[in-house]
Amino acid sequence: MKKIFILFSIALLAAACKKDIQTLNQETKRPTEVTPGSLFANAQKKLVDELTSSSVNQNIFRLLAQYWTETTYTDESNYDLGTRNIPQNFWDTLFTRSVKNFAEAARLIPLQDKTYVSAKTVQNEAAMTEIMSVYSFYVLVSVYGDIPYSKALDINNVTPVYDDDAAIYTNLLGRLDAALGKLDATGDSFDASDLLFGGDISKWIIFANSLKMKMGMQLFDADATRAKAAVEAASPRAMMSNEDNASFSYQGAPPNTNPIWVDLVQSGRKDFVAANTLVDVMNTYDDPRLKFYFTGDSTTTATIYNGGLYGSSNNYATYSKPGAKLLKQDFEALLIDYAEIEFIRAEAVERGMSVGGTAALHYNNAVAASIEYWGGTPTEAASYLGQSTVAYATATGTYKQKIGTQKWIALYNRGFDAWTEWRRLDYPQLVAPVDALTAIPLRYPYPVQEQNLNTKNYNNAATAIGGDLVTTRLFWDKF
Amino acid sequence: MLTVLLLHALLAVSQTRTISGQIRDEKGNPVPFASIRIKGQGSGTAADANGAFTMQLPAGAILQVSAAGFDNLETKPGPSPTLTINLQAQNTMREVVVTALGIRRSKNSLPYSAQQVSGDDVSRTRGSNFVSSLSGKVAGLEIRQNNALGASTNVVLRGFKSLTGNNQALFVIDGVPVDNSNNNTPNQVQGRGGYDYGNAAADINPDDIESLNVLKGAAATALYGSRASNGVVMITTKKGGRGIGVTINSGMTFGSIDKSTFAKYQSEYGGGYGQYYEDPSGFFLYRDINGDGIKDLVDPTSEDASYGGAFDAGKMVYQWDAFDPTSPNYGKPRPWVAAANGPVTYFESPASNNNSITIDGGSDKGWFKLGYTRTDEKGILPNSEIKKDLVNFGSSYNLTSKLTATATINFSKINGLGRYGSGYDSKNPANNFRQWWQVNNDVQELKEAYFRTKKNVTWNWTDPTDLTPIYWDNPYWVRYENYETDSRSRYFGTVSLSYKITDWLDVLGRASLDSYDEIQEERIAIGSTDVSKYNRFTRSFRENNYDLLANVNRNLSDHLNLKALVGINIRRTYINSITASTNGGLSVPRIYSLSNTKSPLQAPNEDVSTLGVDGAFASASLAYNEYLFLDLTGRRDKSSSLPEQNNTYYYPSASLGFLFSKLLINTSWLSYGKVRVNYAQVGNSAPTRSLLDYYNINTAFGDAAMTTTALTKNNPDLRPEKTKSYEAGVELAFLKNRIGLDVTYYSQQSIDQIIPAPVSNATGYNAKFINAGRIDNKGLEVSLNGSPFKTRDFSWTIALNWSRNRNKVVDLGGEINNLLLGSFQGGVSINAALSEPYGTIRGSDFIYTNGQRTVGSNGRYLITAASNNVIGNTNPDWIGGIYNTFKYKDITLGFLIDVRQGGDLFSLDMYYGLATGLYPETAGLNDLGKPLRGVPANGGGIIRPGVTADGKVNTIRVNTVNYGAYGYRYSPAAAFIYDASYVKLREATITYSVPAQTMTRLAPLKGIDFSVIGRNLWIMHKNLPYADPEDGVSAGNLQGYQVGAYPTTRSIGFNVKLRF
Repeated sequence: MKKIFILFSIALLAAACKKDIQTLNQETKRPTEVTPGSLFANAQKKLVDELTSSSVNQNIFRLLAQYWTETTYTDESNYDLGTRNIPQNFWDTLFTRSVKNFAEAARLIPLQDKTYVSAKTVQNEAAMTEIMSVYSFYVLVSVYGDIPYSKALDINNVTPVYDDDAAIYTNLLGRLDAALGKLDATGDSFDASDLLFGGDISKWIIFANSLKMKMGMQLFDADATRAKAAVEAASPRAMMSNEDNASFSYQGAPPNTNPIWVDLVQSGRKDFVAANTLVDVMNTYDDPRLKFYFTGDSTTTATIYNGGLYGSSNNYATYSKPGAKLLKQDFEALLIDYAEIEFIRAEAVERGMSVGGTAALHYNNAVAASIEYWGGTPTEAASYLGQSTVAYATATGTYKQKIGTQKWIALYNRGFDAWTEWRRLDYPQLVAPVDALTAIPLRYPYPVQEQNLNTKNYNNAATAIGGDLVTTRLFWDKF
Repeated sequence: MLTVLLLHALLAVSQTRTISGQIRDEKGNPVPFASIRIKGQGSGTAADANGAFTMQLPAGAILQVSAAGFDNLETKPGPSPTLTINLQAQNTMREVVVTALGIRRSKNSLPYSAQQVSGDDVSRTRGSNFVSSLSGKVAGLEIRQNNALGASTNVVLRGFKSLTGNNQALFVIDGVPVDNSNNNTPNQVQGRGGYDYGNAAADINPDDIESLNVLKGAAATALYGSRASNGVVMITTKKGGRGIGVTINSGMTFGSIDKSTFAKYQSEYGGGYGQYYEDPSGFFLYRDINGDGIKDLVDPTSEDASYGGAFDAGKMVYQWDAFDPTSPNYGKPRPWVAAANGPVTYFESPASNNNSITIDGGSDKGWFKLGYTRTDEKGILPNSEIKKDLVNFGSSYNLTSKLTATATINFSKINGLGRYGSGYDSKNPANNFRQWWQVNNDVQELKEAYFRTKKNVTWNWTDPTDLTPIYWDNPYWVRYENYETDSRSRYFGTVSLSYKITDWLDVLGRASLDSYDEIQEERIAIGSTDVSKYNRFTRSFRENNYDLLANVNRNLSDHLNLKALVGINIRRTYINSITASTNGGLSVPRIYSLSNTKSPLQAPNEDVSTLGVDGAFASASLAYNEYLFLDLTGRRDKSSSLPEQNNTYYYPSASLGFLFSKLLINTSWLSYGKVRVNYAQVGNSAPTRSLLDYYNINTAFGDAAMTTTALTKNNPDLRPEKTKSYEAGVELAFLKNRIGLDVTYYSQQSIDQIIPAPVSNATGYNAKFINAGRIDNKGLEVSLNGSPFKTRDFSWTIALNWSRNRNKVVDLGGEINNLLLGSFQGGVSINAALSEPYGTIRGSDFIYTNGQRTVGSNGRYLITAASNNVIGNTNPDWIGGIYNTFKYKDITLGFLIDVRQGGDLFSLDMYYGLATGLYPETAGLNDLGKPLRGVPANGGGIIRPGVTADGKVNTIRVNTVNYGAYGYRYSPAAAFIYDASYVKLREATITYSVPAQTMTRLAPLKGIDFSVIGRNLWIMHKNLPYADPEDGVSAGNLQGYQVGAYPTTRSIGFNVKLRF
């Protein structure tokens, strides 16, 4: 019996000890090594998703621009940003999903095996990654103001200091120039992993110059000299037609569809209708884009467009809704388009920069490009521009009002850009709804998590920008 | 021996003699009213007030003597016709308890705090989850049960010790740890929807529990090493007794909701958000429905609020049912009045069954037991049910006089159907009823509409011209179409051999397996507001434990006894899970399979995790003259989840007990006294796979591979975390043990914690694994037992437990000053912040002027811009329970009052429900006697209590015609913090035991008990309106948040217990 017991004990021990204990901790379902291209592709998509999304938890810029309004739950239309932690979610996605992964790709690009990846390819990939990173930080700095930048993306410093937004802006323009200098159209790059241009470096050169123009113009009221230099240098190589648009082509099946389809179609929700603010203006111009932007009003037989009162409770069935074009699974998203660049050129002329042509010429190009992009005909564009209320010579107001109004119409569906241009040009003159919690936000407040986790730097940043309020003007938004 | 006894019993019938005797205590004083029974027969007698008795005694009979306050005694009378029986005063402390690793010790000798609960105490109320029956019965044990059927139960001993790790007490059955995982998803625990699948300890059969011993402090549990830092609930299962015994328990329970824990509704205004719509009043849609060319009033059915038009029985309004062609009311308007059947009629009054049979037996050679329990439990929601089958088998056989083989196997199968949807989700009807509802909707009519059509005919139509549900489904559709099913099959078994080498040394080898497989299937039907979906989660769990123990029990001298133990434990845990879900909806209605996906299936999520811990341990307990006790223990663990250089660590403990009453023999008022002090250090290893960094793979985009960095930064330099614990206690018994008192003070420091510390997202991560931080828990526990009243027929005993814990986050590693534990809808978060208790609620607050809420020039409260103000603390000030037992002859009445004092919670139900005008506070008349929901011009509206910025009392009367006057819209999160205190009549039972004399005529039946049982009968006190302050979203570290809270189920049951 004693023997049985001893045998039993030995068997027990033998069964338990055969493997080295350390091997038990291995992960078998996730990799420790990946290609920089796979990180780049994913980060590109996350950035575009976030800017395109219409989820009330992520992206409410279409509401801030008063393109759409909410039906029943009107909190965000009334500038309640806190209930759904929107500033937190937007910040979180851009930092952890976009810039962090561009930085990780940048780290891995030079480590690729030189046998298979040429030095020229490495240089192009690094430049593309840099441009995407600049774009992402440009968005962040334009939404919040001061942000962690020089000390950001360092896990060994979990309380990164905030940098001055004007200084970040200057630095970003410098990085953009440096990246532009490295792009070499004779070289290869990410190919299929570049979801914007399929690795076409000539397109990247146009895109980077267009971004430089856009960022340059935004800087004008704060630093006219630097703005002028950037815009004038970039304009000749920036977008010249809709062919040059920085568009992101979504696919037909989840999870790679346009997020608008997810939010508006797949979800079955009925949260948004057209806002009267935009529809009323477009109705007065009999805008040919109305039929693409919105559905007709279902309560009448004639095709008329009717927007819900912005910020008020609106019955979903009664009003025009986002148009069929927007609801396709593979509806493309835009980062920058030709129309926008032409509006910048028009404005550049008005602000005394030399970009060639007249303000009216560029204005007409911009409006026509937008109408044609959305599906209108050149004839429709011409007759639209022929109206005295639209024609550059006769339309009401200053150049800011003329360009601001038409640019606002053209930027439809690009909420972030529209909101930023409204903040910059102050046209059209949007009005906050009567029940709004605050005035129309001029920036997002900092995330709750920053308040809790990075308290000291948060407090300093809040003081530096003039208070962590939605009404604090950012440095470039002088007027 | 058994046959001999039986023979004696049979022979005894003919050969009897009369004896008379007296029962006395240790000091020779008579013990009144003792019960004297003949072993093996039901018959017996009782002593009188002087302890005297006379009875017929069969030859060779053994007497069993019992008296309240004294130990039971068995004696075989000699031939003398007179007899004196001396009873020893009961010492609750002398009972034998089971301690770490299954070591049995007399409670006398324990130098640390342990509190025993009998199996009857947890199975008495026939609840299906015995864990919740512990509430209020153990000092220092905080149980939080959630109101959903089969929901998880939070079991925390002596406060939260781990910042982000597991804080649940360890469950150990007969010396072997049993898994008590809770797999609720991060979304579920943060109130964003999903189901609470409960925790795995619910698989334990309450009818198989002989006793539970709660080891609270680290000194008691240090032998378990890395997994015992949260205390241990030791479960001893029933063993077979001599002869064959059969016990049958059959019970039925009837439930209904406690209406004080559900919403009350205002009955003055119907559906809508305010004056936003089409008719001249602005409260209704205005369409020509009946084609008479005149516009009609139509309920704005898309609006899920009750801030619409004032009720008026004379006003005819087309409502949701007017557009349902199958409705008797199709095409007809109806009076604009509050519904006859509100949401409270949605809840059902379920009946549940609980049946069990236990067979056991034994002889000199060994014992066996076999048990089967079947529970059918229905919930208060339609189409909800949990069925449990639990089978236990255990047997032990003495192969030789020295070698014993023992094996147990427990099989359980839990089948859930229609668990309650939780959180802020369309599948949670309480979320709908408490936050987003039109009080003119009749729930019973919605029920008829669903059963008439089997379609999603909802009150929440998009529009009369678009009959699709907009935000909310028909609540019956939700339950009958969008239901979940789940099942868990579990085997838990051990085999062991023990060998008695000499009379003071034995060796035990044991292998045990805890193994379960579970599947959870969730459905959303085509036609729901949410995207149709089928989701399938399967998980398998295996844990193997191998133990080898040597036990020494030896008297080293006449005065010194040594109990020592040396052993090793090898643990291997394997967890493997996979989650798969249809993509983009379902193609074919009502078929729930992965192949029924609309878009191509996305890759499922796989997760594999393995953990190994190798431990070696030793302990020595020295007893000097049975009054001085010293315990020393030590354990060394090696864990696979820590880096090689740091993976070995030690847990020491030292405890000293002094039974000073042994030295105070002449002190009559004090019958027992012991003091004890101890120190221990226990700890915990890291979560698996938290050392190296991994990337995540996403679905490919065409030809492009998609990967991303992880959100949590791992750390290859982690060290084990540690809890240091000090404890001092005193146990006293007075007046011949009529009163017993146990007081314990403890202080614990949990240091060097392994935490995925949330970091600024600007680092590119959400969190980073670090060793940092310290939480201190200090507390006081008091248990008091007393029998204030005792006569022959009547006795009253009280057991009281009280404890308070003070918890403080002392250090977070210097870099961070706040650890965000969870963030919630409503802009609130639960935090562990430096110098604050664990679990503070943060959010936006009022701005105060001279201590008063400040009102802005628009008549609304000013709200802080920042959301990091501390607005609540989820920790209670103290918790306690009082159990009273009244016994009159054969009838016993017991009831438990369970108290929680203090602690806060945030209610999202009030946050939204007040804004949407559901509750009575949002209607009625204002200070001027005009409607609250009115315009100031007519004297209506409200003045918010507070002051203006200049400190003057606010006099601005504001328009409250539209929604949001109350509730979230113009108030900070702080306005929805409530005190979570409660006093509950938790359980009450009346038991009638058929008297022994009667039983003798009912052979072979040996005992019959009838019981009437009540659970959650009455919330005697609470401060939270319309809900149960105890209810939460899930067990775990995030407590103090309510969303879509379910009402409490009050249940009354009947049980019959038969013993053969």
